[in-house]
Amino acid sequence: MSRSQHSRVAAAGAAVLAALVLLPAPVPAAADGGQKTRTIVIDPGHGGLDVGAKGKFGSLEKDITLAVALRLKGLIEQNLAYRVVLTREKDLDVSLENRSAVANNNDAGLFLSIHTNGSFRKNAQGAETFFLSLNASDEETRKLAYLENSSAALEGRISAEAKDDVTMILWDMAQAAHIRQSARLAEEIQKELNQPPLGIENRGIKQAPFKVLTGVACPAVLVEMAFISSPEEEQKLIKDEFQNQIAQALFRGIVRYLRLFPQ
Amino acid sequence: MPRPKTVLLAVLTVLLAVLAFRFIRSGGREDIRPAEDVGAPASGLSEAEARNLPRRTVTVFFARENDDRLVGEKREIPADGVPDREARAILDELLRGSLEGNLSPLPPGTKLEQVFVAKNGTAYVDFSRDLVARHPSGTSAETATIFAVVNSLTANLASVKNVLILVDGEERETLSGHLRLNRPLLPNMGLIAKN
Ligand SMILES: [Zn+2]
Repeated sequence: MSRSQHSRVAAAGAAVLAALVLLPAPVPAAADGGQKTRTIVIDPGHGGLDVGAKGKFGSLEKDITLAVALRLKGLIEQNLAYRVVLTREKDLDVSLENRSAVANNNDAGLFLSIHTNGSFRKNAQGAETFFLSLNASDEETRKLAYLENSSAALEGRISAEAKDDVTMILWDMAQAAHIRQSARLAEEIQKELNQPPLGIENRGIKQAPFKVLTGVACPAVLVEMAFISSPEEEQKLIKDEFQNQIAQALFRGIVRYLRLFPQ
Repeated sequence: MPRPKTVLLAVLTVLLAVLAFRFIRSGGREDIRPAEDVGAPASGLSEAEARNLPRRTVTVFFARENDDRLVGEKREIPADGVPDREARAILDELLRGSLEGNLSPLPPGTKLEQVFVAKNGTAYVDFSRDLVARHPSGTSAETATIFAVVNSLTANLASVKNVLILVDGEERETLSGHLRLNRPLLPNMGLIAKN
């Protein structure tokens, strides 16, 4: 890379950084007359060589997540004025980073990662919805604090190396600005998963440090539909009827959320 | 009216008393964590020597059978005061499996390659490939594995603030596609069973 190229990249990096730092606090997105690209990104968990969790009868998590994601895509496109982008449409390997990048590159208003659960316990059952826990180590907190304190003096002052480091951490923590809305999204979806036709145990909403959620710059949740490690739930998960019901529940949860926070 | 010298003496006495009180209190606190009290030699402990060391009780976390909570089992380890060695002893107990009918959150055959507690409070724990290769996968299973390790170390070692789990000497993004592993993890005490 030439010197001028390098400095241009550095300047762009600094601009991105400044924008990120100065981003407004996470208030509910205002209805701005539909000016935004209305995109929902659905992430069918695993794929390709990464088969995910396996059932006793041989079902694979990656196949079920894709089947439900495709059904959900259909429901949203038929009923809502939203564009739907899947992080994979086929049985493909996609890195966790690229999955979050699909959301950010499409300026998504909502990100939903779909999984089937697996446990050491054979009788573990039920559905749960997660949003990110900010399990930042002291080191990260310190770096973020440093960044916030010095954001005004950022441009051109810090070394390229330090900038890379800081940019990486910022992107890594992009979800931090959307935690409240993500919690609401998780709540609305979990409410619907708990409705009668499905009849799955309600494990509630939880927080955990999911890699795929950390870099997503919009409200984002991860749904564990049921346990593929439970022979009983595995049998449900592979049925068309159950997959349709789950997709419908996820759809209704999304609609509820969008009513609360119109985009 | 007291003379200035008397006042000075009184002030000094109070100051001394406060310092003495603080000293005693901090000493008392360290008694709770014998890990830092025992003046064991810093290196070259043979097994026999280890057996002669005072022992201390630690709580090691396993997966409960009837829900997804972690439950503690009491174990005795040599209290040799060296964080690396105590961390290894705690993880060896975890690898030994449950003695109280709980589930082992580490896949069978998993070996502990190395443990190192850094000065900044991060424990580096390196497991053999079996941790990944024989892991059942799934969020619940990953959660149990990761936080059984993290909680067992942080709950028993004052010098460990967070834990970075390595596999075969390398950092990993995740164990099987869910929780991120490539940053030190803080304990999640919310996973521990209340009863
Ligand atoms: Zn999964």
